Amino acid sequence: MAVAQPTVDPARRRPSRLQRLWAGLALVFQSRVGTIGLAMVLFWVVVALISLVWTPYPPNASLFEQNLPPNGTNWLGTDHLGRDLLSRLMTGTQVILLKTRLPNGLVLPIGVAIWGVLGSLVLGTVLGLNAGYRGGWWDQTIMQVLDALIAFPRIVLYLVVIAALGQGDWVVILAITVTGAPGVARLVRSLALDIKTRDFIRAAETRGESPWYIMFVEILPNARGPLIVDAMLRVGYAIFAIGTLGFLGIGLPPPDPDWGSMVNDARRFIYANPLAVVWPSLAIASLVVGLNLFADGLREETTRYQK
Amino acid sequence: MARFILRSLLSTAVTMFLVSLALFLLVEVGSGDITVKILGVFSTPEQRASYRAQLGLDQPWYLRYLDWLVGNDWRAERLVGHPLVTVRNPQSGELEWWAQVAGEQLRWDMEEGQIYELVRQEDGSAMRRPAPETIWREGPEGEAVFWGVDEQNRAAMWIQGKPGVAFILTKAGMRQETDAPHRYIPLRKGLLRGDPGMSLMTGRPVMATLPTRIRNTFVLAGLAFMVVMPLALLFGIVAGVNEGRPLDRTISITSLALTATPEFVTGVFLILILGIWLRVLPPTTVFLSDSDIWNLKLLVLPVLTLTAVELGYVVRMTRASMVEVMNSPYIRTAILKGMPFRRVVFRHAVRNALMAPITVIMLHVNWLVGGIVVVEVVFGFPGLGSYIYDAAIFGDFNAVEAAAMLMVTIAVGTRLVGDVIYTLLNPRIRYS
Amino acid sequence: MSQPTPRIHPLIYEAQDQLRRGRITRREFMRYATLLGASVATASALAACAQPTAPAQEGAAPAEGGGAAAPAQEAAPASVQRGGTLRKAMQLQRIDHPARMSWVEAANVVRQVAEYLTLTGPDNITRPYLLERWEASDDVQTWTLYLRKGITFNNGQELTADDVIFTIGQWLDPDVGSSMLGLISYWGGMENVEKVDDYTIRLHLQSPNIAVPEHLFHYPAVILPRTFEGDFIKQPVGTGAFTLAEYAEGERAVLKARPDYWQTGVDGQPLPYLDEIIYVSIDKDAAVAAIQAGQIDSIYQPRPSDYLALKDVPGISVYSVGTAQTFVLRVRVDLEPWDDNRVRTALKKCQDREKILQLSYFGEGLVGIDAHVSPVHPEYCEQPIPAYDPEGARALLEEYAAEKGIELPLRVTLATKNDEAEPEIAQALKELAEPAGFDITLDITEPSGYWDRWTEVDLGITAWTHRPLGIMVLPLAYIADEEGKPVPWNETRWVDEEFTQKLREAERTLDLEARREIMCDIEAIMQERGPIGISYWKNVWNITRSEFQNVVAHPTSYDLLYEIWKEA
Repeated sequence: MAVAQPTVDPARRRPSRLQRLWAGLALVFQSRVGTIGLAMVLFWVVVALISLVWTPYPPNASLFEQNLPPNGTNWLGTDHLGRDLLSRLMTGTQVILLKTRLPNGLVLPIGVAIWGVLGSLVLGTVLGLNAGYRGGWWDQTIMQVLDALIAFPRIVLYLVVIAALGQGDWVVILAITVTGAPGVARLVRSLALDIKTRDFIRAAETRGESPWYIMFVEILPNARGPLIVDAMLRVGYAIFAIGTLGFLGIGLPPPDPDWGSMVNDARRFIYANPLAVVWPSLAIASLVVGLNLFADGLREETTRYQK
Repeated sequence: MARFILRSLLSTAVTMFLVSLALFLLVEVGSGDITVKILGVFSTPEQRASYRAQLGLDQPWYLRYLDWLVGNDWRAERLVGHPLVTVRNPQSGELEWWAQVAGEQLRWDMEEGQIYELVRQEDGSAMRRPAPETIWREGPEGEAVFWGVDEQNRAAMWIQGKPGVAFILTKAGMRQETDAPHRYIPLRKGLLRGDPGMSLMTGRPVMATLPTRIRNTFVLAGLAFMVVMPLALLFGIVAGVNEGRPLDRTISITSLALTATPEFVTGVFLILILGIWLRVLPPTTVFLSDSDIWNLKLLVLPVLTLTAVELGYVVRMTRASMVEVMNSPYIRTAILKGMPFRRVVFRHAVRNALMAPITVIMLHVNWLVGGIVVVEVVFGFPGLGSYIYDAAIFGDFNAVEAAAMLMVTIAVGTRLVGDVIYTLLNPRIRYS
Repeated sequence: MSQPTPRIHPLIYEAQDQLRRGRITRREFMRYATLLGASVATASALAACAQPTAPAQEGAAPAEGGGAAAPAQEAAPASVQRGGTLRKAMQLQRIDHPARMSWVEAANVVRQVAEYLTLTGPDNITRPYLLERWEASDDVQTWTLYLRKGITFNNGQELTADDVIFTIGQWLDPDVGSSMLGLISYWGGMENVEKVDDYTIRLHLQSPNIAVPEHLFHYPAVILPRTFEGDFIKQPVGTGAFTLAEYAEGERAVLKARPDYWQTGVDGQPLPYLDEIIYVSIDKDAAVAAIQAGQIDSIYQPRPSDYLALKDVPGISVYSVGTAQTFVLRVRVDLEPWDDNRVRTALKKCQDREKILQLSYFGEGLVGIDAHVSPVHPEYCEQPIPAYDPEGARALLEEYAAEKGIELPLRVTLATKNDEAEPEIAQALKELAEPAGFDITLDITEPSGYWDRWTEVDLGITAWTHRPLGIMVLPLAYIADEEGKPVPWNETRWVDEEFTQKLREAERTLDLEARREIMCDIEAIMQERGPIGISYWKNVWNITRSEFQNVVAHPTSYDLLYEIWKEA
């Protein structure tokens, strides 16, 4: 009875990484919504990459008249310090997607929004797997703590964290991590609860694998579909959060532009130059919509595939 | 059922305890040495230490946490040996702490090494007389100590023959004073008993400001809720029933775009277009008197902004749930059996489809709170959201803690209600 | 009884002579004469005698800001209308004892209810107010203050010398903790305050000082009734034109006109013209929208962006006035690299003053020299404005770097607060200083975060407020105390013996012309080796809806509202 059946271990017999990526993308392309979403996201990634090597003008230099409307020289106009808005909008993408500035002048690759989401993924996954797989006392404790974290309205937590730790890229990452982790953990927990009843888990247990091995090698790969979808949505929330913090004047520090503080700066001059508020707002909205559509497409197709 | 509710209540209580602990530690750790903030960078370490003691900050963190949560008069009562009461001073209108001793209300003060009793009079003033020698008790190190209530609403410990030295803060700087107590417990009733302490921002009790702010936010959020819910459910159901058709696409895309537009952008443009350019609505919520909250015209734009942000989310939820229900076997069967489509939708589908959104909506109060902070800041609305924002920027820790606890309580409370409603509606999960 | 003819201070005649010979302007003469106790009317008369020709260069005071507050009203009485409410957006903080006030906002509420012995107008001239006049002895060490008669508090009690003495006692009482205590330490305590009769007080100063009238208008110095117990909100008693009807911190303050105020309007009825003032505590961005829609009528201390948003809006008037308020770019001279004057000078050369003024303040100010004396100060000694010189700066830096064996660019961190114009100045400076070889990292925090450490940062931009005399701010920030330690507000730690000597001399010098001579040296020293850069002196605006008349901009944003009236 208790003899382990030679189950098909899905982790072993997989095509190469590249092939899998391609298969995943092909899945997205089957959904029109997903394709549009991916295109919108890729647009901003490309903009960010270009801005690393080229922008029309230096983004922080006051080269023009202040608060100009769009014109031949400055396609999107200028801000209140006479800086080119297009250059700033392009550079603003970097902080979100491509680079993170640390206190001692170091720069990490990958942007604040993505680090924040990665952080909440790691933290949330560890907590969620332990809660879901181990159950019992672990589950009770972890979920109780997470409930407490979820109980904080996000913005309150942001305000408290930033009031406590000051401004800076890493503080924003921390804030996103802490607010995002409970959601991830709940999702991972429910997935783990489901997956742990499967046969291959029982097989692994019989083989005598350690709980950590089972959680991260057996369960996690099988939970990745919904997790990726969730992560896409979370990057959207994170961008939103960075925007809100920037707007409240407690986000990423100047002078390098980010979209939230661009909105905040421009808002004070909205009567002189209303369009200056529109551009960064559109950028935030389009990237968030893109991520949402992409996630929707991914979800639609993966669920259809499963059926 | 009762057991389920009881369990939820218990779990909520534990959650609230953890939240209060986390909040307290975060704010305590984060605000650093607040005596530097209050006394300035020119203060000396002795002055800071003296001031920290006067604020009760020299006690271990768990005691301060208890003080903050449930007060410390009960702790001080044991030391003083008499019941401690709060009395409103008829002249200043402020609450004062007094010790109830044999039918009199007393406070104490030391002058030139001699303790004096201050006896409270009807008009709020005090009569001064030397205290008997019998008040001294033996302290832990053999010295004669006396615990009483001083004039700054603190329980204080004097030592006989060894007057302390304290630095008193005035606007003109720190003043050194002798005849001071050696230990202080600043008396407070604690958050749970409705006393979150003094606000650094206003210099008055937090509770002097908070109730009006709470009322204002409730009115704003309530109005937004009343506008959002019917609209969102309607659009969600319509979209769900018409899945895949142009109507569904239009509603879905619009609601997605609305969700993806930050509330500050919506707010700023509503102000600019409707308030300044077209002049059809007042652009901000300037309350010239407390009753202006009932001037609904002022609230139109903030409610609209909240609606724009919230609507999309709930529409998407309702639609998804409706789609799921419409595709479920029993609805298909009902339609196949020839029941009128309208009746199927309203009798069967809607009821089941609304279950999911209701819980989501309740969970979503959290999100709404986030939206409210930004909306209140944008429109200058005097509510709880702008209060916590101002307090956080100012570093007013008592106010931040009180307002944050309040928001958490609201969020947790609505979630509890959501859970209960969901269980009532759906007997299947009752015992899971 | 005829009134005794006021004695005219001998120095006034001297000043009159200087005016006659064109050595000082009429404006300077007025200021000086009134400082020494001549009434504005007398001073005007003396000035008129001295000046057969048209007034000389009057400075850059805009028409609205100029003499509008002078008591001589020339408006036709028929044009004044009574009634109406003025609604103003302003933060409302805690108020308890007025002597303890530390914010202009709080003072703006209190000053509607309680009043000062003197009044420094928008033109920087100080006039008697609750005082009828003052007299200074020749050595400026004895001052006699004559109270106006017949003024009553809003509780019916008459204002007498006892109330003034009580109030001075409150300032000097360490238990009250008034900032007046430090400001008037040269009075030497209560025993030097003498009550001559019910309406006359004499001050026997410990050391001579010409700024007594200015100090009596310091914002905590409102005159309180002798029955005052310590909380103004509970006991809002004063001689002012309004009474306090409601006060809620962080929300609003409501003030109602008082029927029996001591000053009369041009229509012969008691002031004020307005029925009611409401201050509302709302966010500035919201206030800018609210004033355009007519939800409020005025904004306290508008920011440059507010000025830009509102300056061309029909129905809204902008009044502006030049001030001695500024943003000081300052370095710690006790720390590397700022201990080397070449580096300091290089940084100063990186200021493109016109451009910084344009970018951060839309040109609304006066460009400055790198000395903490403003062109609006009477003793300001005019100097050429230094030009933007990145090459010169680079040369200095290269010399310094070669000596130290370091590579350019020189990395420094510039700290300031995220407030009205500081982030813009910092960002502009970063760009301007780059070609000179500075690599500036910005560290911009919330205002409270900067004030926590403003004296500690090695490179920073600090906002300094207006003081009516040039000699009033220098001893606060650029000298050492008796023990040789930099004074508490000396954020740069810069102490210069020659400078200190000159400053002490200037403080003793009553003669304006002679004081300006010394000021020329002081300014030269600061420019040559001082620790600060001042790109410009900002203007202050009063933005109010146009139906309100008699509105003026005050350099310290003080609200003087008793003569304002609203056109129906």
